[in-house]
Amino acid sequence: MKHPNETQLALLAGGDLSLRERWRVRRHVSRCAECENDLQALRRASEQVRELAAELPKDLNWNRLAEEMQGNIRVGLAAGQAIAGFDKPAAIRRPRLGWNAGTVLACASVLFVLAFWANIPRPQAEHLAQALKRIAVHGIGNVPQQPALQQEDVVLEASSTDIEVQENGRTLSLMHPHSDGATVSVSMQGSAGVRFIDSDTGQVTTNKVYYAEQ
Amino acid sequence: MPSSKPVLAGFVPVLAGFMLVASGLVAGVLPKIDLPKDSPVAVLSADYKDSNETARGGAMLLDLHAALSLRNSSHRRIRGITLLVSAQDVTPGGKGSVTVTSLDIGPDESFPVRIDLRLLRPLQAAPSVPVQISLDGVLFEDLSFYGPDKLSSRRNMTLSEYEARRDRKYFKSLLAEGGPERLRQEMLTSLAHQEDRPSMDVQVVKGARATNFEPEKQVQFAFLQLPDAPIEPVDGMARVAGNEARAPRVEVRNRSDRAIRYLEVGWILQDHGGREFLAGSVPAELNLAPGQKSQILENTTLKFPQPHGGQPLAIDGMTGFISSVEYTDGSVWIPSRADLGTPRLQRIVAPSDEEQRLAQIYRKKGLAALVAELNRF
Repeated sequence: MKHPNETQLALLAGGDLSLRERWRVRRHVSRCAECENDLQALRRASEQVRELAAELPKDLNWNRLAEEMQGNIRVGLAAGQAIAGFDKPAAIRRPRLGWNAGTVLACASVLFVLAFWANIPRPQAEHLAQALKRIAVHGIGNVPQQPALQQEDVVLEASSTDIEVQENGRTLSLMHPHSDGATVSVSMQGSAGVRFIDSDTGQVTTNKVYYAEQ
Repeated sequence: MPSSKPVLAGFVPVLAGFMLVASGLVAGVLPKIDLPKDSPVAVLSADYKDSNETARGGAMLLDLHAALSLRNSSHRRIRGITLLVSAQDVTPGGKGSVTVTSLDIGPDESFPVRIDLRLLRPLQAAPSVPVQISLDGVLFEDLSFYGPDKLSSRRNMTLSEYEARRDRKYFKSLLAEGGPERLRQEMLTSLAHQEDRPSMDVQVVKGARATNFEPEKQVQFAFLQLPDAPIEPVDGMARVAGNEARAPRVEVRNRSDRAIRYLEVGWILQDHGGREFLAGSVPAELNLAPGQKSQILENTTLKFPQPHGGQPLAIDGMTGFISSVEYTDGSVWIPSRADLGTPRLQRIVAPSDEEQRLAQIYRKKGLAALVAELNRF
């Protein structure tokens, strides 16, 4: 026995099958439990579609709705084609000008550094080299930990009003009264002094400040 | 109406607290005077009037004004004294000293020493700043010395005493040869030189070059040869940049028949305008046998700040001369009055402590007082 196909069953469930075909398919279904089950399932689905269709507006213009849907699909396809251009990888463009400019800039930088290094006075060059070395070791913005007393930080100063030793932002000064004969003296071993006459006592007094090793 | 008694009572602890804080501040200012038990000087009195500690910006400023009265508790006459002043919390590496020379203090006599000190330290530093005053040395009439001598006070005061003896002898000879009028003329000349002597403020930076960015050059020393100096300067140079001079190097030879353990080279600088002034001294501790050569090296920078309203100094030349020598036996050599009488040195080199003191006596008290002072020795 040959079973009816799905289309014949679906047309039977919807009542759209011709008379002759309806008689023949019904006759088979009445004897075939499997086809009977399929037909019942199709009828239940058809019933549910009818119920859903009953909830749509009564004056719905199906033709216009179909045209709008087709229009929306076309707009979507056009937009997709337009966006596709942006999604292409940048490597596709030819960056010939960028590489050329970069090469010129690199050459100019090398020339500038060589000329600067050749013309900078030697002490400044040493100072710069030390600064770069410090940056390489400690990084920019990181202040290296200094010992409590660094001799380069110690400054002795002698003037006609006072003498002082400055060390790490701290100062020790020895002052003296105004004196016409105040004599400033410094020693390269690390001391600075002022000699003056005390106008009250007539005594010769010498104030001095020293480095640590003195 | 509410009673004012609780309010007044509330002020009492506030006032008491304020007084406690104030007394603490004053106590923090006072120095610690530390003299050895067998010290030849004793503190008779100490006055700290006008001393205070105040906040200034982000720093604390301590002004210490100490008027000390010391007594000679030894049996010898004192010629000089050096007090060491230190504040370990503020400048652990730096220290100061106050030296009084050309003294003539007999046993049990007293004499004043004044110390005017200023300390500047960050606010967040330790709250108390103990200033310590200690004895570094006392030089007696017979050139004997007492003290720890941490600051080479023995040598410095001995050199000063040698100069004092040389100058008193010179002025007494003038008095003997030409009478008071000759002495007066010499005093007037000395006062004129003191007034005209060029002087500059100076900074000393230990170590590398300071801040000048002008090109540096090596400048050769010219030397003033003093005929009777036991040391002959042979060669020397220093690095000069604008108003900075650094790293002097001087080669010397001992031309005497005695070993030498210390010498000082006076360093005269000339600027582009031809002006000359004494920049400082290059000292050296060495052991130099007769006929031997040695090199003096100092890695220090001298910087001369631009004077107010003046032109910045541009160093153009340098001259050196031997200013003092100490032999291994402790005796010293200093330039003679004849050496210092050359026009160049007379214009530049400062008079000795004693000449300055005698000139001050002449200016303040007159010729008779000066003659009386010279006759005391």
